[in-house]
Amino acid sequence: MKYELVAGFETHIELGTDTKIFCSCSTEFGGEPNSHCCPVCIGLPGTLPKLNKKVVEYGIMAGLATNCEIANVSKMDRKNYCYPDLSKAYQISQLYAPLCNRGYVELSNGRKIRIHHIHIEEDAGKLIHNHGDTYVDYNRGGVPLIEIVSEPDIRSIDEAREYVEKLQQIMRYIGISDCRMQEGSMRCDVNISVRPQGSDKLGTRTEIKNMNSITFITKAMEYEFERQVDLIENGEKVVQETLRYDDATNTTSSMRSKEDAHDYRYFRDPDLVTIKVTDEEIEEIRAKLPELPYIKKQRYVDELGVPESDAGLLTKYRNISEYFDKAIDGLKKPKTVSNFIIGQIFRVLQTEEDKEAFDIKTTPQQLNQLCKLLEDGKIQNNLAKSTLDKMLETGKDCTEYISEEDMAGLDDSFVDELCKQAIEANPKAVQQYKEGKEKAIMACMGFVMKNSKGKANAQEVLEKIKSMIS
Amino acid sequence: MITREDVENIALLSKLFVPEDEMDNLTQSMQEIVSFADTINNADVEGVEFDNINNLSNALREDVVKPSMPKEEILKNAPEQAEDHFLVRKHS
Repeated sequence: MKYELVAGFETHIELGTDTKIFCSCSTEFGGEPNSHCCPVCIGLPGTLPKLNKKVVEYGIMAGLATNCEIANVSKMDRKNYCYPDLSKAYQISQLYAPLCNRGYVELSNGRKIRIHHIHIEEDAGKLIHNHGDTYVDYNRGGVPLIEIVSEPDIRSIDEAREYVEKLQQIMRYIGISDCRMQEGSMRCDVNISVRPQGSDKLGTRTEIKNMNSITFITKAMEYEFERQVDLIENGEKVVQETLRYDDATNTTSSMRSKEDAHDYRYFRDPDLVTIKVTDEEIEEIRAKLPELPYIKKQRYVDELGVPESDAGLLTKYRNISEYFDKAIDGLKKPKTVSNFIIGQIFRVLQTEEDKEAFDIKTTPQQLNQLCKLLEDGKIQNNLAKSTLDKMLETGKDCTEYISEEDMAGLDDSFVDELCKQAIEANPKAVQQYKEGKEKAIMACMGFVMKNSKGKANAQEVLEKIKSMIS
Repeated sequence: MITREDVENIALLSKLFVPEDEMDNLTQSMQEIVSFADTINNADVEGVEFDNINNLSNALREDVVKPSMPKEEILKNAPEQAEDHFLVRKHS
C-alpha cells in the first residue's frame, strides 16, 4: 500500500524588538548570563508585566504577510507548567483569543498551507545541563516570540521545506526577525501522521519538538514517516507522543513519559489588559509593509521580463531586490542589471550570508550609470563586464575606467576599414569559411575586436565581414 | 467540591509529593480555601462598575531599552548559583 504524509507546523520566531515583551530589558543575543534581567522577566512576586507596543505591531505585520485576519480584540493567557526555564512556573502566551487567525502561505505548486492562527508569547530561559545539574540563564526569558500554527496541510517533505523557507523569507522581508535557525531565532515543531494514499481521515500523530535546521526537519520527517509506515504495516499502532530528533543517530525518541500529565491549565492572565486594534490601525500597518517577495518575484517576471529563475534569486533576500529596484531606474532592459547581479556580483558574494547582507562597494546608482552606457550603445558588453569587475573592487564610478574615447563610439567607415584589413590578414580562415567552416570566421572577428580595443559591436562586425566575403 | 483526585492531580502537576496520611487533611483544607474564596460571589455588586482586564485595554510601552538589574542583584536570592547562573540541582 502507498502511504501519504500529513504534517502541520508550529513555528516559533523571535521578534527583532529592542526590548523584551513585558519589560524594558534588552533582547540582545549573547551577553553575560543573567545580565539582561529584571524583577519582571525573572518573575519576582509583586511585579507587573507591561506589553511592548512593537510586539503587537510586528505580530500584526506577520499576520498580514501571511494573509491572516487580524483580531480587533485579543488577550493574553497563562500557560502553567513546572520547569526551570520558566521562573514564574507559567508562560504568558495566547490561547483563547490570539492576535491573528485564518491565514495561508501559498507554495510554488499552487497549494495553500492554511495557518490556523498566530499568537504572541514570551520565550523561556536557556538551560545548560551538566552532569544532572542545570544552569539557568534568563537572558532569553521574556524575549518576544510569535508562534505560527499551521493546519495539517503539508503532504510531502518538499512542501515542508518550502513552507519553512517561505516563512523565513517573508518574516525577513518584513523585517520582524532575522530568522536564524542556527541561533534559535526560528524553531519548528512538526506534527506528523501517515495515512493510506487517497484516504481523507487523519492518522494518529506524533510531534517532533524544537528543530533548528531545515536539514534536521527534513531528515526527521523522513525518518518518522518511515517509522510510522513500518508500524502500520506490521499491524501495530502509532502512539500519540512527543518526540525528540537526534541528528547524530538520525532517529526520533520519546521525550515525555506518560506520568507527565499534559495539562497546562490555561487561564486569562489577570495582569494584562485586553489588546484592542482598530481597522484603521491595521490598515496603517498594512500600508507600511514592503512588497512581499512572492509578489515582487511575479512582478519581475511579468513586468520587467526577468526570467523566473533569475527573479527567484533576486527576491530571495530583501537587500538584493532593493538593490535591483534602485539599479534599474530608467533602464529599458532591467534584465541587464539582473544579469550583472547574478553573473558578476554573485561571484564576489560566495556564501548565502554574503548574498543576504549584499554588502558590496558599488552602489546601485553606479551600476545604473554603467548599464545606461551599455544601453545607449556607448560601450560594448565586454568592456562593461571588465569595468564592473574593477568597480566592485574599488567602489569607484565606471567613468574612472572608461575614457571619453571609449565612449565616443566608432566611426562606421573605421569599422569597415578594420573588417577589410581582417579579411586580407586572414586568407586561410576566409577560405575555410567559404568552404563551409562557419567558425573560421571568428579569426577575422578577433582581429577587428582587438584592433578596435573591444569597442566594436561584435554582432555588427560579424554581419559586415560575412557580407564582405560573400 | 474538591476531591482527593483533584489534590492528587494538582500535586502531580506541581511536582509535589504528598504523603498518603496527609491526603484527607489537604483535601479538606483546599476545600475550605475554595469555599472562602466563594464568599466573594455573595457580594452585592448591582450597578457597580469595575475597572478590570476586560474593560481596560492597551496598556502598552514603547520599545526603548532601560538598564537591566546588575546580575549580582538578580542572582542574590538564588538558593544556589554557579558561574553567573541559577543552579538547579538534580533530585530524584
